[in-house]
Amino acid sequence: MIEIKNLSFSYLNAEGKQKSEEPQLNRVNLTIAPGEFVLVCGPTGSGKSTFLKTLNGLAPNFTGGVITGELLIDGVNLLGAEPYEFSHLVGYVNQQPEGAFVADLVLDEIVYSAEQLAIGKEQITKDVQRLSKLLGLEELLNSPLSTLSGGQQQRVAIAAALISGAKVLLLDEPTSALDLQGATEVLNLLQKLAREEGVSVLLAEHRISRVVGSVDSVIVVHGDGSVTKGNPADQFNDARFAPPIIELGQQLGWKPLAMTAKQAQALWKKAPAAFVEKHFNEPGPRVLEVTDLEVTFGSLSAVKKTSLSLFGNQITALMGENGSGKTSLCWAIQGSGTRTSGTVETATGDPKNMSVQDRLEVTTMVPQRAADLLFLNSLADELHESDTFAKVPAGTTANLFQKLAGRIDTSIHPRDLSAGQQLSLVLSLQLVKNAPVLILDEPTRGLDYAAKRALAKQLDQVRNAERTVLIATHDIEFVAMVADRVLVLKDGSIAKDASPLDVLGSGQELASQIADVTNEAGLITIGQVLH
Amino acid sequence: MSALTSNTSHLFSTTRTHPGAWWLAGLALALSASLSSNLMVLMAISVGAMLTVWLCRDDAPWSRSIRFYFFLGGIVVLLRVIFRVVFNLADASQDVFLNLPSFSIDLGLGNSLHLLGAVSVLSIQAALVDGFRLAAIILSIGMANSLANPRKLLRATPGALYEIATAVSIAINLAPQLITSLKLVRRARGLRGHSKGIKSLTGIVIPVLEDTIEQSMQLAASMSARGFGRKGNRTSLQLRLTRASTFLTLTLLTVGVAMLLFSSAQQFVDLVIIFAGLILAGVTFKLSSTRTTRTKYIVQRWHIADLVLVLLASLVLLAAFSGVFSK
Repeated sequence: MIEIKNLSFSYLNAEGKQKSEEPQLNRVNLTIAPGEFVLVCGPTGSGKSTFLKTLNGLAPNFTGGVITGELLIDGVNLLGAEPYEFSHLVGYVNQQPEGAFVADLVLDEIVYSAEQLAIGKEQITKDVQRLSKLLGLEELLNSPLSTLSGGQQQRVAIAAALISGAKVLLLDEPTSALDLQGATEVLNLLQKLAREEGVSVLLAEHRISRVVGSVDSVIVVHGDGSVTKGNPADQFNDARFAPPIIELGQQLGWKPLAMTAKQAQALWKKAPAAFVEKHFNEPGPRVLEVTDLEVTFGSLSAVKKTSLSLFGNQITALMGENGSGKTSLCWAIQGSGTRTSGTVETATGDPKNMSVQDRLEVTTMVPQRAADLLFLNSLADELHESDTFAKVPAGTTANLFQKLAGRIDTSIHPRDLSAGQQLSLVLSLQLVKNAPVLILDEPTRGLDYAAKRALAKQLDQVRNAERTVLIATHDIEFVAMVADRVLVLKDGSIAKDASPLDVLGSGQELASQIADVTNEAGLITIGQVLH
Repeated sequence: MSALTSNTSHLFSTTRTHPGAWWLAGLALALSASLSSNLMVLMAISVGAMLTVWLCRDDAPWSRSIRFYFFLGGIVVLLRVIFRVVFNLADASQDVFLNLPSFSIDLGLGNSLHLLGAVSVLSIQAALVDGFRLAAIILSIGMANSLANPRKLLRATPGALYEIATAVSIAINLAPQLITSLKLVRRARGLRGHSKGIKSLTGIVIPVLEDTIEQSMQLAASMSARGFGRKGNRTSLQLRLTRASTFLTLTLLTVGVAMLLFSSAQQFVDLVIIFAGLILAGVTFKLSSTRTTRTKYIVQRWHIADLVLVLLASLVLLAAFSGVFSK
């Protein structure tokens, strides 16, 4: 279906010269069969998105850069063609569907591409029926897109990408903003599309563990320009992005490696390894107290009367489905968000009543749209500004950033960093502020496992008796790695306030991969396993 | 099967008013308002437009934009009255209801400027009429814009204008997008803080612009990836010719109408320009409709309800023309 020969791609700098020594993609050769389900992975910022975009002309037509080689799709060389020349062959779904929607109603959105391609009306009706049935959208065809949940929107985007009759589907991290249920739905559908409809699916994804068991092959974009394709079992020798199940197999010397939870369960049962008890930090003094906090937007009650305390020395995870009120609660605690009633007490008062400047000395937050915090023209300027503002020795922020994201040329424009790198940068800017309350809203989106481990280590290091950390997240494995306490929000109220062992342990709704595989009480993360 | 057919028939049902009907009605009301100088009539048009939106809107996000038009209208009325009180040019001799001290400022430009002074009922009334006329026009257009999303209108545009209409609808969507982005970025800025050497404006303007441009690029990329801009079975030459003639047609018509409206000097030239524009419009339609390049799967049809709506608005307009409203 897709045949790539000697494909190279490089971005250009302002002078029209190649940006770095190494091209982003260097002499890539690979083929993808019809109906093949392929996982595309690689470390943060390695160029997974760029690779996908070269397959439908978005790179270089929308990204800039130079492309050479051969790109045969269904036998036609389309190298360098405009994206619309690919539209009947390749469907594309990106991370945030709402930004890419061209219509307002579900049906209008789905048929857009078919209308552009002048497909006959009867054919469109047939295809809409088939796809809406397959994707479970039959009841939603007349709904405004803005009223759908994230998972539903993502399903509409998939239907809209396939209506053109495309036999290749490219998805750039389609589940990164979805809760567990939404993500599972989307991933199951993709598998069905490949199996039943013969669509070649290329999926760039960070939740590798959830898909690795069902894909046919894995493409790794290594970040040094090389791109390799092979069996899942051979492709995960790089610990930067190997998921927990595979890492477990590698540590315990399983041969062949287990790819699915089922295989791993059998192997573990045969020869369970010893593990240490998970260490949790004792709560320090109370740093922040929330009393009867309520947030309502119009008729929607986002957070219902909620009281909680956050303690020093502790990292608290705030979990819950999309729309359960996590983000509203974070902003309300931070002080600048909507708060309908209730109080938040810290040693220096309620952050809501403070000036913007004073508030930064009490609560710092990394919001979901982290890139909004960046406004200077180079990475160097951002790092310097951060040091100046926080009154810390020059280079402090840069040091922290390097620990999280590796060494990066500081002359780069912050907007040219990958999403994961931008997040690491904003995290560093906020961490150096040294406020007693640190709030992180979905901090692991777009981060590979190595970056997540680095972040966990960093959070562990900034821990002290006077500081509390609150992390709103869907990322179960990250919570298992880092949290001392878990709060689960449901419909705006705290449904659970417990130790991670109780929330993420085996048999629980939010069981971690390791808990699920080992079925051992008290074992939730790979760091506990002895080898 | 049944789900889709029932949905499709629902789509074509009368529950959806044709976006063109809302725009025609809105324009008719706006024109009526501009012809009227009766305060009661102007207020009735304003309230009518607001009520229509209130009754007919669905929960779509663009329906909320009427609030913006309402505030804009209110500000216009308020400013008109304040200006009349401050720059009180006509010295009132009768019906004085507010006697403010008068200031005269000599700007050295001949006549000195009189500020404040005695305010008459008549002058306030005139200011109110002026203000409400503008407010009624704003609310009528606001009604159309709130009830008929520009993107919906796009579906109803003839094929020849499709590309231009797409650009316009994206441009119209840009303003609310900028406002949303501004809100989010301002909130985010409060989380970052900035040191003394950095201008606070930089921290707002740059992310907002980058965000807006990025969003527009994302939309463009998505449209392109889904086939927008395809040549179809037209040759590049045909495509370029169509685009050029569409552009020229619209330019000629706009310039012609503007000249006709704003300058009374050379009506002959204006008419020639408009005539040339109309001929070119015919050529454009011919050029772009020779071959199908796009399917119109969802067709907005005109229903009785739409016609009734337009008819009602035309009646108001007719009354305005006949001068009923001017007294």
